[in-house]
Amino acid sequence: MNLVTPLLIMTTAAAIAQPASTTRTTFHRETSVATTIKADESIIWALLTNASDYPRWNSTITAIQGTIALGEKIVLKSTLDAKRSFKLKVKELQPAKKLVWGDGKGQRTFTLRNNGDGTVTFTMHERIGGLMFPMYAKYIPNFDESFNAFAADLKKEAELIQKKAN
Amino acid sequence: MHQQTPASLSQLGIHTLTAEFERTKGALKSYIVRITANRQEAEDIVQETSSRAHRNVASFKGDSSVKTWLFAIAQNIARDHLRSLKRWPEDVGDICKDAAMKDPDFFREAMTIHKTSPQAQFEIREHIAFCFTCVSRSLPLEQQLALMLKEVYEFTAKEIAEIMETNEAMVKYYLHTGRGRMMEVFDKRCALINKEGVCHQCTELNGIFNPKQNAQEEAVKLQMVRDAKKGDKEHLFDLRMKVMQELDPFTSPAAELQLHHLEFDRQVMEMHEAPA
Repeated sequence: MNLVTPLLIMTTAAAIAQPASTTRTTFHRETSVATTIKADESIIWALLTNASDYPRWNSTITAIQGTIALGEKIVLKSTLDAKRSFKLKVKELQPAKKLVWGDGKGQRTFTLRNNGDGTVTFTMHERIGGLMFPMYAKYIPNFDESFNAFAADLKKEAELIQKKAN
Repeated sequence: MHQQTPASLSQLGIHTLTAEFERTKGALKSYIVRITANRQEAEDIVQETSSRAHRNVASFKGDSSVKTWLFAIAQNIARDHLRSLKRWPEDVGDICKDAAMKDPDFFREAMTIHKTSPQAQFEIREHIAFCFTCVSRSLPLEQQLALMLKEVYEFTAKEIAEIMETNEAMVKYYLHTGRGRMMEVFDKRCALINKEGVCHQCTELNGIFNPKQNAQEEAVKLQMVRDAKKGDKEHLFDLRMKVMQELDPFTSPAAELQLHHLEFDRQVMEMHEAPA
């Protein structure tokens, strides 16, 4: 039995304000995570919108090709399913506030909220589904661990940049 | 960094601007040639910066130093053109070396410059600066600009934000990512700091231009090489930046030779199919 992995997951989850949770209905599945980051929202935004830089700091993404700009198409490769490439479109972009990308089956929303005390609340939410969802739902892995890792990686990197440059 | 910040240049007059420009011109030209890799363009941009600054002297309100203001004007002139150019690959040195080996004119011209110009004495440290100029063009443009402004020309994050028309947080991001990437590239490639490094170009060229010298003996005269065994990548990067700071690409002892190499690399890169 591997005792290390559950411990790592617990540690990662403990570092973030609201560890990932998933809700399911017949036709949809939604996963959310939130964390408080002690860094300027511009730094967090830069990390979220520089496609080629993701693999350097984000342990859940192995590559993003393309430009993260409104209306642009990107190709994302994730550790969740290393064999697949996800072709996504950037559907909404409000600088330093909100970013949405997705395809016909689902969409991921990133939001930043400045708390006015030197911290920013980062949330990431993904909704997948549709009428055909019951047919392929069992093939989609659980996102919770990956969401926790994404949020923890973002927090760690943004706070490191903030701290280093101060 | 010591910079004069007059309340308003328009109050102090055009002569003050001219004097400030003359003080800044060298650093400005050095910066522009390092980001454009184009000697003629650097001279043109510096000239145009002078014209625009003198035309718009009334718009300078003294919120920043004159030096910062002049760098901002110059960068504004260079920016659109730089954005339209493809970034260079990390192995630009290998690609250009191959091209040079196939081009008999390259070494013929280089040797003529070496023999006839008073500014063509090949030194390893000169090639280190040249190498950084070329490899830094593999970074995203904003990272390259921020890194040069901070590490070589010693502007603060606030001043860089003014020059680049962005905010300090973005500058911090560019500096963090750019510095990290460059450390990684040199750690992987540079044989001066890593025995496993694949690039020996500076010592190879030293053998060509200074055949009577022992390249290794020359290399260890550099603190960066002596400290390489300690393995502190941040420290080694700082020493590399110190080499950059100490050399002006237009006035250094090897300026003519290195500018010839830079022009060659730029032309090779313009022909090369690099990722956008």
